[in-house]
Amino acid sequence: MSIAKASGFEALEKLMSTEPPVFLAPSSISEVARTASRYLFEKLKPFNPKSPFDQLLVDGFDAEQIWQQIDLQCQPLLSSLRQDVKRFAQNPKEIRKLGNLALKVSHEDDDVDEMDMDDDELEATESEGDEEEEGDEEEEEEDDVEEDEEEKSGDHEGIEDKFFKIKELEEFLEEGEAEEYGLDYKNKKGVAKRKKQNLRDDDDDEEDEDEEEDDDEFGAFAGGDDEEADKLGKARYDDFFGGKKKETKMKLKDLSEDDEAELENQGDVKLSTHEKDRIKLQSKIEQMEKANLDPKHWTMQGEITAAKRPKNSALEVDLDFEHNTRPAPVITEEVTASLEDLIKSRIIEARFDDVQRAPSMPTKAKREAKEMDDSKSKKGLAEVYEDEYVRQANPAFAPTTFSDELKKEASILFKRLCLKLDSLSHFHFTPKPVIEEMSIQTNVPAIAMEEVAPVAVSDAAMLAPEEIFSGKGDIKDESELTQEERKRRRAKKKRKFKAESAKDPVKKARDDTTENPKTVTGSEER
Amino acid sequence: MAESTQMEVETAAQTVTLPAKPTFKPLKAHEMSDGKVQFRKISVPPNRYSPLKKAWLDIYTPIYDQMKVDIRMNLKARKVELKTRADTPDISNLQKAADFVHAFMLGFDIPDAISLLRMDELYVESFEIKDVKTLKGEHLSRAIGRLSGKGGKTKFAIENSTKTRIVIADTRIHILGAFSNIKVARSSLCSLIMGSPAGKVYSKLRSVSARLNE
Repeated sequence: MSIAKASGFEALEKLMSTEPPVFLAPSSISEVARTASRYLFEKLKPFNPKSPFDQLLVDGFDAEQIWQQIDLQCQPLLSSLRQDVKRFAQNPKEIRKLGNLALKVSHEDDDVDEMDMDDDELEATESEGDEEEEGDEEEEEEDDVEEDEEEKSGDHEGIEDKFFKIKELEEFLEEGEAEEYGLDYKNKKGVAKRKKQNLRDDDDDEEDEDEEEDDDEFGAFAGGDDEEADKLGKARYDDFFGGKKKETKMKLKDLSEDDEAELENQGDVKLSTHEKDRIKLQSKIEQMEKANLDPKHWTMQGEITAAKRPKNSALEVDLDFEHNTRPAPVITEEVTASLEDLIKSRIIEARFDDVQRAPSMPTKAKREAKEMDDSKSKKGLAEVYEDEYVRQANPAFAPTTFSDELKKEASILFKRLCLKLDSLSHFHFTPKPVIEEMSIQTNVPAIAMEEVAPVAVSDAAMLAPEEIFSGKGDIKDESELTQEERKRRRAKKKRKFKAESAKDPVKKARDDTTENPKTVTGSEER
Repeated sequence: MAESTQMEVETAAQTVTLPAKPTFKPLKAHEMSDGKVQFRKISVPPNRYSPLKKAWLDIYTPIYDQMKVDIRMNLKARKVELKTRADTPDISNLQKAADFVHAFMLGFDIPDAISLLRMDELYVESFEIKDVKTLKGEHLSRAIGRLSGKGGKTKFAIENSTKTRIVIADTRIHILGAFSNIKVARSSLCSLIMGSPAGKVYSKLRSVSARLNE
């Protein structure tokens, strides 16, 4: 055991003396490290009655497993240590009793210093194990290669080395706080620094983030530190959960308690971020609850008529509804330019999409408008039907109608006239004028043709259906028209009539010329 | 008679193949109603008495010769009587002849009335002016004047365009023609009675008659 102890101590010394980079490289130093850790473990064993291990098992175990063993041992140790520190913080005198040291007159800074000192000494005196523990932890951290280094107060040489200076850290933190809270806090930092360090003693395995939080809180309380140290001992429930002012006294105690305990301390003027957030949240909650109780905004009420919402309120709200019409095109320069280009190209091509008039039938024979005969018909009704029947059955034998005879006469007259004219104009005289036979197209229904099959008339000479009747759109009888339709037709008729009358201006009545000259002059005078 | 016996035979022997269906010639006018003669009597209004006397032969000849219906004038009763003969081919001849005589009595001319004898689908429709519109005194006279027109030209225009014949007898109007033509003529006459000017009626007639004559 003693040999082991000696070797362990030596190993420890050796470790402490080696340069940190050596730890990073795999080397024989691991063997030394293992012995050192085992030594430390043994040292700490008496303070940890509940530990399952008698010895630190290092042979054949990897770093993780060794660390786990150490961790198992250390955890209860740490908590007990914390409690001790708390006790000492409350009753500084106990330290004196324990430590048997002379304390200086209590100035809070000194107190803090003393506390620091006491803590250090306590750690030193109570057990080597603490230091060793720290060293253990150090080694563990270094064994694991990458780990954040814990902060200790300025007197701990074991912590500080080339890479890690506590003061540099403090400066960095102060700068950060100054950015956040303004430069005022920097001045008051000096007081708080020691408290910070004090805290860190307690919070060994705390992460940096928590420490920064503590820093912030300290920064906030920087102003009220002086008064409160004395009143620590008189902490009561009411002080925590009573008025605002009293709560500030408890900050130290709270900080010294749980690391992650809720801090309800508030300064009258300056609040922690947490407090501020809480206040904001509270106000928000109140607002929302109030809004829920109040009647809803009109936009949330479903169907709303204009009477139920304030005037012109629909203008303020961005309403979303389907627009049935396409939005008007935005005329930008590009659009105009594109249109102009199109127009130019079309003009060059001469490709105008003109509307072309639908071609009318080439030979559209006007249907025979039966003349309205005012006189008494010479034929009896029977004869009328007889003629009709004959025309239907035997179109060849049908007696020619009056219009047919007229046509014949007209054609004969025209031929004669043409002949005379041609003979007069020698240049264009054609010796044998071709007399065009004007074929009379009788509008006999085609069905009759098919049935009777006469040789004389062919189907080709028939009138096309379009020539008989051409109507556009919905043809309605007079009786079928609605009132609006009738009006429309009448208006159309009137328009037509007006157009025609405008074309052929009505001649003035002849009475004007035979009027008395007096009246004529009279009109002129006007 | 023969039919009933035939039916009895059928019901008696249904399993036996039925004999061929008998074909009977159509009954002659004379044989109908058990061989009795059929009559038609048409009364003669006093204003048609002398025209009847003048046109008697024109009436008699087609009826007797072509329709094969006996016709006589009962002077005492002032009626024209028609009777079927033994050789009257069709019972409708009697009716046609009766219609023809009746049309003449209404006031139609013989050539117009003859068409009734020739064609089946011609009818005579009569109505009164008061059926269309209640008119009294001068309004009535004016309506009648509107119907006929100057020299009867409106009436002739309707007649010619619709292939009908119209008789305006005081407040009674008779139209002779085919059914659709009668409708058209009637509508134009009614519009005239109601007061529309003749020009309007003409224009309407023009469009309608074109369609009718297709």
